[in-house]
Amino acid sequence: MSTAAHVLLALLAAGPQHGYDLKKAHDQRFPKTRPIAFGQVYGTLGRLERDGLVEKRGQSREGGPDRTEFALTDAGREKLRAWLEEIETPAPYVTSTLLAKVVVALLVNGVEQARGYLAEQRRAHTARLRELTAVKTDPESSLGDVIAADFAIAHLDADLRWLHTTLDRVADLHREVHP
Amino acid sequence: MKPTALLRLALAGTRTDTLRVVLTAVSAALAALAVLAALTVLAIPVPAGFGPRDGSDAWADQYTSALLKEPGLRPGVAAGLLLLTIPVLALAGQCARLGAPSRDRRLAAIRLAGGTPRQAMTVAAAETGVASLLGTCAGLVVCLVGREVMHRPDAEGRIPLPTDVLPSVPALAAAVLGLPLLAALAAAVMLRRVIVTPLGVTRQARSKRSPRPWPAVLIVLGVGASLALEAIRKNYEDSGDPAFVSPLPLLLLFGGGLMAALGVVLGTGWISHATGRVLHRFARRPAPLLAARRLLADPWHGSRTLAALLVAVVFGAGALAVRAFFATMLEARQEVQRFYDEAAGQETTGGYGSDTFYLDAMDVVDTAVVVGLVIAAAGLLVTVAEAVVARRRSHAALAAAGVPRSVMGRALVWQTFAPLVPAVALAMTVGTLMGRGYFGAEVREGGGQAQTCDAAPALCEENFEKYSHLIEVPDVVRAVPVPLDDLALHGLGVLVLVAAATGLGLLFLRPGTSVEELRTG
Amino acid sequence: MTLLQARGIVKSYGPTPALRGVTVELAEGEILAVTGPSGCGKSTLLHCLSGILRPDAGEVLYGGQRLGTRSEADRSRLRRTDFGVLFQFGQLVAELTAAENVALPLLLAGKGRREARTAALNWLERLEVADVADSRPGEMSGGQQQRCAAARALVTEPKVLFADEPTGALDALAGERLLGHLTRVAQEQRTSVVLVTHEASVAAYADREITLRDGASDPTGLGAYVPAGGRP
Repeated sequence: MSTAAHVLLALLAAGPQHGYDLKKAHDQRFPKTRPIAFGQVYGTLGRLERDGLVEKRGQSREGGPDRTEFALTDAGREKLRAWLEEIETPAPYVTSTLLAKVVVALLVNGVEQARGYLAEQRRAHTARLRELTAVKTDPESSLGDVIAADFAIAHLDADLRWLHTTLDRVADLHREVHP
Repeated sequence: MKPTALLRLALAGTRTDTLRVVLTAVSAALAALAVLAALTVLAIPVPAGFGPRDGSDAWADQYTSALLKEPGLRPGVAAGLLLLTIPVLALAGQCARLGAPSRDRRLAAIRLAGGTPRQAMTVAAAETGVASLLGTCAGLVVCLVGREVMHRPDAEGRIPLPTDVLPSVPALAAAVLGLPLLAALAAAVMLRRVIVTPLGVTRQARSKRSPRPWPAVLIVLGVGASLALEAIRKNYEDSGDPAFVSPLPLLLLFGGGLMAALGVVLGTGWISHATGRVLHRFARRPAPLLAARRLLADPWHGSRTLAALLVAVVFGAGALAVRAFFATMLEARQEVQRFYDEAAGQETTGGYGSDTFYLDAMDVVDTAVVVGLVIAAAGLLVTVAEAVVARRRSHAALAAAGVPRSVMGRALVWQTFAPLVPAVALAMTVGTLMGRGYFGAEVREGGGQAQTCDAAPALCEENFEKYSHLIEVPDVVRAVPVPLDDLALHGLGVLVLVAAATGLGLLFLRPGTSVEELRTG
Repeated sequence: MTLLQARGIVKSYGPTPALRGVTVELAEGEILAVTGPSGCGKSTLLHCLSGILRPDAGEVLYGGQRLGTRSEADRSRLRRTDFGVLFQFGQLVAELTAAENVALPLLLAGKGRREARTAALNWLERLEVADVADSRPGEMSGGQQQRCAAARALVTEPKVLFADEPTGALDALAGERLLGHLTRVAQEQRTSVVLVTHEASVAAYADREITLRDGASDPTGLGAYVPAGGRP
């Protein structure tokens, strides 16, 4: 079951909600991730209902189309608890595109050409870091914003550090080969 | 709690600053006492107009001690008391280094906050000044209380100390306020080499060249001055040239003494360096090698730590030489007296040969020298302890690396004693040479003719002219021996004092080498 | 408008070169991050810019005036009136309370004790450490100490604040709080900031960033890569 499904279960833990409200709540809690599509919300809810984790709870028609409220079942609550208790495998992000691109750039173009690409990448990373930091220092930002920004900053920071180490390592290697 | 642990705790952190202030104040109090005592001696009133030739009218007969009775001797007593302030001030100087790192951090922080170099220096000098002022005020109180307590006239109404006079108020004020001012100025001058930057305190790099034996020139000049003094006196005795009464002899006496002492102190830098080189060349064990390296790295450390002690040793050796002179003079006089008595057919009486005034005076001088040595040793203790405490991180690192504490202790002992022994030998040689220079290497008594009466005492009383006759008094010339035994004892005493001070200082090594020290700031 | 400018700064410690010709400009109200690996010369650059060190060659211009020609005392006064300095740790006087520490620059400038204390308390309030005003540095947390140090650097309302790894000894949240305060105050007072750091996440608080590498500026920020047979 996907992370998004568990997040929807978690949002329903606060009380029954319509699909539309669920999408809004999701986007508000995770502002810096990609917004979740309506289709995905309803598709996921359908699968959750099939598995008996959520149930329909009446319909309302206040000023809009047909809106169905969903509620968490006991099985759903149990499922959510189990998910939270399950430890994530501390897998490194070896599938990262950044890693792939750096390795490919070094392989294909050699160090000197790869640096151009890396300098641009670094600039982009730094600019993004600055934007996220501005979110953090903005007194208007909500706790959710700040937490999400922290998460992104930590990862970008780690990427940058890895980038520098890689360059140093390659330079060292180069120096040994061409003294 | 063990005493060392207690001491360690007492020295930790800002308490070291308190300790430094207290020690500075105590030194200032001691110096103030010495100065006030000297002023008191000088305040004994001298009646106007001298009576008989020996000036006995002017004698202050209320005192038991001849040194205080005779007006002519009092300046000497006062000068002796003032000289005692030298080791005391040296002690103060060594105390000022206590806890210097934390003070340096404070000064750097002040500079970082925008303090000018002058402001940082003022802060440091003010601490010394205020501490000294507290000390001199305490000294004044002790002096005033002491006057009352020690004013104990004996049966004849005579008093041992001049507790009946008090220096004038301006003189008192000058002593109480002047000393702190002097101390603050000295602190400022000492900090001149220290550049307080906002990034920390760096001591201006001394020239990297190893010390040269140039201070030997100072020693030669100092000893030369004492010989010149002797020549001038001979010249005066022969010709009656009034030049001897001019301030020239005093200048030669004090200037020469100061120069020679300075030469010995500065020469210790070269001695340290030389012994370091020799030790490094021949040492095979870790402790002397460590000591040799440290001696080579900072040869002036010895000059700084041993300065006061060496000055006291120079004075002590000089005093021994002078004592030997007086002892020889006494013997020569006894011989002359014996000759008179034999000529007069009497049992020998001693006469003027039994006047031990000079030897008594030398006892006072010796006491002063011992006091000076003990104070200097106290200063040495402070420095050794400070060196151990200041180097505790490197000691702790050595201990963590498995170097036994005994090796570090032995290294410290080597580091202290390797330059100390030759330096003390040099100081004693210089002191002896100067003492002999000032007073001469031989004593000449008797000579000429004298009238003596060898009849029965009653007849001599009755008609001295009739029964007396002229006799030739033989020249009694005695060479003044070099007091080798006394010098050996003196040197041994110094070494024992230093050993005691170093041993006490080593106590700091135990808490100082705990690996815990590596964790602290 | 350019407030502070350094041209071709060269500085060596004995035979070791720390800076080999660095040129940098700081505009009024700008926050400039100076980044680079340890030993790249960024602290030395900050010390030269703030007049703590005198460069061996090159010149530092503040408001169009050369710093190098001023006397040590003069530069100290400048540090008191126009500059504020904030280090990683240890710039507070351990024997003084927080309020006394913050008041120190004012006292050195000859202000009265009451006036200095009022100003100090005001700044401690602004940096949210008024509750430790009468504590000594040893009794505060690292974050509180750094905010006190920041208050001391800002109490004279400087034109330029020099911060050398100000969050180096702090945990992430305490560091964030300090940097938040600094950037806010800098914006409010139009104070320029030179922020030396080796962390990209700290440099992200700045408007602009320069990177040093081996004592020279590194425009790519990627570090010194020496291609075969030539200088980078």
